[in-house]
Amino acid sequence: MGLTPLSEWSGQIGELVIGATRTDGGTRSHAVTIGGERDLPYIGIPPSGHIPRVAYELTDDPSLWQSAAIRTIGDRAHDPSDWAAFAEKELQPDLIRLYLSSTRRRGFSDLSQIGKTVEAVLQATKLPLIIEGSNDPALDSSVFRKIGEAAEGERVLLGTAESGRYRSAAAAAMAYGHSLIAQSPIDINLAKQLNILLRETGLPHDRIAIDPYTGALGYGFEYSYSVMERIRYSALKGDTDLAMPLISSAADSLTVKEVREAEGGDADQAAVAWEMYSMLPATLAGASIVCVRHPLSIAGLKSAIASLWNGQKSVGV
Amino acid sequence: MPLKPLDIYKLLPKKNCKECGDPTCLTFAMKLSGGKAKPEACPYLDDNAKTILGASTRPPVRRIRIGVGERALTVGEELVQFRHEKSFFHEPGIMIAVTDMMPAESIKKEVIFVRDWVLTRIGTDLRLNGIAVRSVSGSPEQFARAVGAVEEVADLPEVLMADDPLVMEAGLSVCGNYRPLIHAARLLQYREMCRLAKKYGCPLAIKADSLDSLAELSGLCVAEGVDHLVLDLSSPNLHALLNASTAVRQHAISRTTPALGYPVCIDTGLGGLSDASLIAGVTKFGSVLICDDLPGASRKALLVLRQNIYTDPQKPIQITPGLYRVGTPGRDSPVLLTVNFSLTFFTLQGYLEASRVPCFMLIVDTEGLSVLTAVASGKLQETVVRDAIGKYDLANEVSHRTLIIPGYSAPLSGRIEEITGWKVLVGPRDAADIAEFLEKEWKP
Ligand code: B12
Ligand code: SF4
Repeated sequence: MGLTPLSEWSGQIGELVIGATRTDGGTRSHAVTIGGERDLPYIGIPPSGHIPRVAYELTDDPSLWQSAAIRTIGDRAHDPSDWAAFAEKELQPDLIRLYLSSTRRRGFSDLSQIGKTVEAVLQATKLPLIIEGSNDPALDSSVFRKIGEAAEGERVLLGTAESGRYRSAAAAAMAYGHSLIAQSPIDINLAKQLNILLRETGLPHDRIAIDPYTGALGYGFEYSYSVMERIRYSALKGDTDLAMPLISSAADSLTVKEVREAEGGDADQAAVAWEMYSMLPATLAGASIVCVRHPLSIAGLKSAIASLWNGQKSVGV
Repeated sequence: MPLKPLDIYKLLPKKNCKECGDPTCLTFAMKLSGGKAKPEACPYLDDNAKTILGASTRPPVRRIRIGVGERALTVGEELVQFRHEKSFFHEPGIMIAVTDMMPAESIKKEVIFVRDWVLTRIGTDLRLNGIAVRSVSGSPEQFARAVGAVEEVADLPEVLMADDPLVMEAGLSVCGNYRPLIHAARLLQYREMCRLAKKYGCPLAIKADSLDSLAELSGLCVAEGVDHLVLDLSSPNLHALLNASTAVRQHAISRTTPALGYPVCIDTGLGGLSDASLIAGVTKFGSVLICDDLPGASRKALLVLRQNIYTDPQKPIQITPGLYRVGTPGRDSPVLLTVNFSLTFFTLQGYLEASRVPCFMLIVDTEGLSVLTAVASGKLQETVVRDAIGKYDLANEVSHRTLIIPGYSAPLSGRIEEITGWKVLVGPRDAADIAEFLEKEWKP
């Protein structure tokens, strides 16, 4: 009946749930489920699995953030809970990704502040959360434990595990009922290897999101795009060690020359264009969560994703 | 799938007479399989072999040329669904639309812009490709006038967009000899459109309500003698667009439905989501992308995305290792070391030119890997640096013995000093800071 895409897949992407509502013992207004696809992204009527989601990235240490991202945020940027509340109300992303960037400063020691920040953000927004901790093996254990504990019951997505340092993050995810981002540098075999290492720690496959690392548009994006396609393809062909949903972030976009050197109002447009032109392709390659930092990127990405999903201008949660 | 050499060999006459230009039938079979020879080169093929080989060696997506001259656009000839399987070959053309309601002066301004605008990245000029002229008024005269305004300025590839064959003919009477894409034939008027396509020797876009009727229409046009076709899949509904373009590519390259073996055209101005349609078009199998309005930021991002998606994934864009000069350096000018990944080279070169300090760039062979990647993979090592210094005779080019290395390669500095005997100065990580660095730190 009619010419349609030729689909001959045997595998399926696993589902991952982020956020716990009251009935699940958390305080989120809703949970977000990603993954579940049996075909290429957006293919099928209706498409299989769950619609890709847009996460908005913010930080507890704005001095480490790109100025293009916070220019329009103003003073709220100095209080992550204010910032998160504003984002939920005005920008309406599907998820919030909180970077505890303060842990990446030299001499960081204020663990209790980390716990307080996580609690305050959980108070301020009811959206499901992704939380990024330290990236220093010496700190990981205490930082991830602190985050895990402070967010217990909320089923957050914790980041980020890498092949050289994954035990602390995995332990915190398991102990406190969270999921984990597994990042590897643009290589399908390394992605697979890390998932196998994580399986050996006891973390179930349905609590992992693969981050294959995203180079900025014009600065390596083509490699990231293809590695996402390859991971998705292998998973659909039946490789269960790669059958986890993908997460992709445009974090590097706001530091590229084209964005840095744009001025005034053009700077916002350049930032939004660079995020849009890498994150929408990322969803077409297979990403289930795409992450942006410029507040004005969210609405455009959401409506583009909605139209790709079912032809509508928007899709409810 | 192209036939395997042995399968082709079985079909050949096995005379080994060399008339095809190959020493044996088998080597000819290998060339055919790789698409590097045409079956017609063998004069002794039987009819059966001709039909089988004719079908299997024609590229699964037909090659189409729009326009003439230097800026002519070639699309099609794609072989794969995923770029990592081989590569995507012909970049989609981006055609900026004007309408026949616009005053001639505004049309000309737009055409000049498309002709002249260029974004230079990694040593390559990225450009918009052509002009689409929309018939909005419905008047043949007005359409001809608009096409005339385009023609007055530049010989860019054109898409003539009118559903009424009378209007189309008026446009073609102005520019038909320059091979514009006729857009579009439909089931209702395809005969007249085919007649025009034949008369002017132009490629023809076709449009239908479903893929099945599109495949049918493509067969009808071929029967009329027009086989340079482009499939229009435009839709305000991006889900429908993506599913259709994916189906077309799959049916074409698997040769399941040869009637869909043509490049795809997308009018991105339909659903109010033009950025998203352009993105879907570039990543997912579009070949001719028509767009009304492309603000500066989107334009740059779009062309960079297109460049990214259409680079060959098997080999990074590289430059030849060697000693390069920025300005006219003297014997006491600084020497900056970097890798032979084009993106790295051109980024650094750009900032060096801006710094106005004449200098040498010593480019070492890292097989096209960037600084960090080369360091991480061991492709950038002290021995590579030593060999390059010798090979390019650096010691005779400059009077000093100091090498500036990229900030990201700092861990190598000790070992480079040891093995080369040159003093190493670790530069900034970001090339954007190079001017300030040279000003403060460089003394011969
Ligand atoms: C694209 C990419 C790849 C591509 C390769 C692209 C290429 N042709 O190099 C692929 C997918 C193949 C790849 C592979 C790997 N990659 Co990789 N990759 C990247 C990515 C996303 C972008 C690199 C890039 O193109 N940068 C742009 C160019 C222009 O940067 P650049 O060369 O460094 O130049 C800048 C500066 O160094 C400076 N500069 C340059 N020259 C000079 C000279 C002087 C004198 C000065 C002062 C300054 C200067 O100016 C430039 C602009 O500021 C980076 C992440 C990132 N954000 O950097 C990871 C990254 C570099 N990769 C990484 C890794 C680990 C790898 C692998 C080892 C993984 C693996 N598979 O085993 C492999 C190694 C390759 C191999 N063959 O084994 C890591 C490196 C970790 C580290 N800190 O050491 C990174 C940082 C990703 C990460 N965070 O994990 N990678
Ligand atoms: S011309 Fe035909 S028969 Fe002669 S060698 Fe070539 S393939 Fe064989």
